[in-house]
Amino acid sequence: MITVYAAVIKFILIVVSGILGGLIGSLTGLGGGTVIVPILSLFMGVPLYFAAGAGLISSIATSAGSASAYTRERIANIKVGIGLEVSTTLGVIVGASLAVYVYTKGLEGVIYVIFGLVLLFSLIPTIRRGKYELPQELKKDRSTGIFQLVGSYFDSKMKKEIKYSGVRWWLGEIVVFVSGTLSGLLGIGGGALNVLAMDGIMNLPMKVATTTSNFMVGITAATGTSIYWYEGYIQFFIVASTAIGVLIGAFLGAKILVRISNKNIRWIFFSILSFLGAQMVLKGLNAESMLVLNDIIRLAISAVFAFVLIFSIYIVSRRKEAVARPS
Amino acid sequence: MIGVNASIAIIVIGVIMLFIRGTADNFTLSQLVNYEAPSSTLNSSLVPLTGIPAGLISLDAVYYITLGLWVLIMTPVTVVFVAFVAYVKEKNYIYGLLSAIVLVNIFVAMLFIPGLIGN
Repeated sequence: MITVYAAVIKFILIVVSGILGGLIGSLTGLGGGTVIVPILSLFMGVPLYFAAGAGLISSIATSAGSASAYTRERIANIKVGIGLEVSTTLGVIVGASLAVYVYTKGLEGVIYVIFGLVLLFSLIPTIRRGKYELPQELKKDRSTGIFQLVGSYFDSKMKKEIKYSGVRWWLGEIVVFVSGTLSGLLGIGGGALNVLAMDGIMNLPMKVATTTSNFMVGITAATGTSIYWYEGYIQFFIVASTAIGVLIGAFLGAKILVRISNKNIRWIFFSILSFLGAQMVLKGLNAESMLVLNDIIRLAISAVFAFVLIFSIYIVSRRKEAVARPS
Repeated sequence: MIGVNASIAIIVIGVIMLFIRGTADNFTLSQLVNYEAPSSTLNSSLVPLTGIPAGLISLDAVYYITLGLWVLIMTPVTVVFVAFVAYVKEKNYIYGLLSAIVLVNIFVAMLFIPGLIGN
C-alpha cells in the first residue's frame, strides 16, 4: 500500500521534472515534449510509452499556452500552418500506429535509439537558430500563388514591417509528413523539423517559421494523443503532474528568455540535451542487447560525448562569427 | 489560452481530489501512482469517455483529469475549426478545403484508427 504522503512526494518529483522539461524546452526552442520524455524515461522509471504520452500532452500544453501570444502579435502564418498540417496529421497517424506496433512487439529499445538520434539531430538546426536573419528573396513559384504564401509581420527589433513570400510548398509538405511521423512515434511535437521545412525549404523568415511551427505542434500532438489514448499510453497520474510542471516551466522560461542578455547560457542547455540524446541511444542499445554496458559507464560515455560535441560546435560557431565580423 | 487555463484548472482539481479521497474509479491510490507496474496501473484505455458525466457527479478524480485532458486536446482542434469557418465565410475555398482535410484527419485518428489497429 502506498500512503498519500508518498504519492504527494512522487507527484512533486514529476512536477519538478516537468518544470525542468518546460524550462529547457522553451529556452532552447525545442518545445515541451522533446525534453520531458528522456527525463521521465531515464530518471523517473516511467515506461517509455507512458513517457511518450506525457510528451504529447506537454507538447499541446506548451503550444497552446504560447501560440495565442504569437498569433496576437500576428507573426505565425495560420495559412502556412494549416496547409502543412494536412500532411503532418497524416504523418502522426502513421507514426502513432507504428509506435503501437513496435511496443506490442516488445521492441521499445528501437524507439529509444530513434529518439536519441532525433534529439541529437534536432540540435543542429536549433543551435543555428540563434541568428535571426531574413531569408534572401527567391523567385516566386506556382505554389506561392496557389497557396497564398505571402504575408508580413512587424519586427519589433528592426522596427519595421517585414514582407515575405514562401516557395516550394509541396516539398515542405513532404518534410513535415516526416515530422508528423516522428511526433507520433516518439511522443514529441516535431517542431524542429517543421522549422527546418519552413525556414530551409519554403524560405520563410525564421520568426514566422518558429511561431507557425509552435501553432502546428498543438494540432499534431492532439491528433497523436487521441490514438495514444485508446491504446492506454496515457497514465493519469504522470500526465496530470507533467502537464502542470511543463506549463510552469515554459512560463518561467519565457520570463527568463526576455532577461538573458548573455546568449552563451544556451550552450549549457545544448550540452544537457546532447547528454540526454546519447543516454537514450545507449539505453536503447542496451534494451535490445546490442551494446550492454552498466549504468555508470553509460553515464560517463554520454557525459564525455555531450561535452566534446557541444564544445566543438561552440568553437566552430565562434570561429565563423570571427570570420563574419573582422574587427 | 482560455482552453489551456481551463484544462489545467480542471486537472489540478482532479489531482487534489485524488489526494484527498485516496482512491478513484475503483482503483486504489497505489494502483494509480505506481506506474512502474504497467499491468496493474490505471491507464487511459480503461477509461471510457462516455463515463465522464457520471464520473464528474460521483467526484471521481480520474474523470476530472480525463475531462481536463480532453479540453486540452480539443483546444487546437477548435482553432482549426474556427479557421475553417472563417475561410468558408471569406470564400477562400482552397483553405476551406485544406482545413477541412485537417479536421477529417483528426477525426479519423479519434474514431477509426483505434478500431483499425486494436489495443
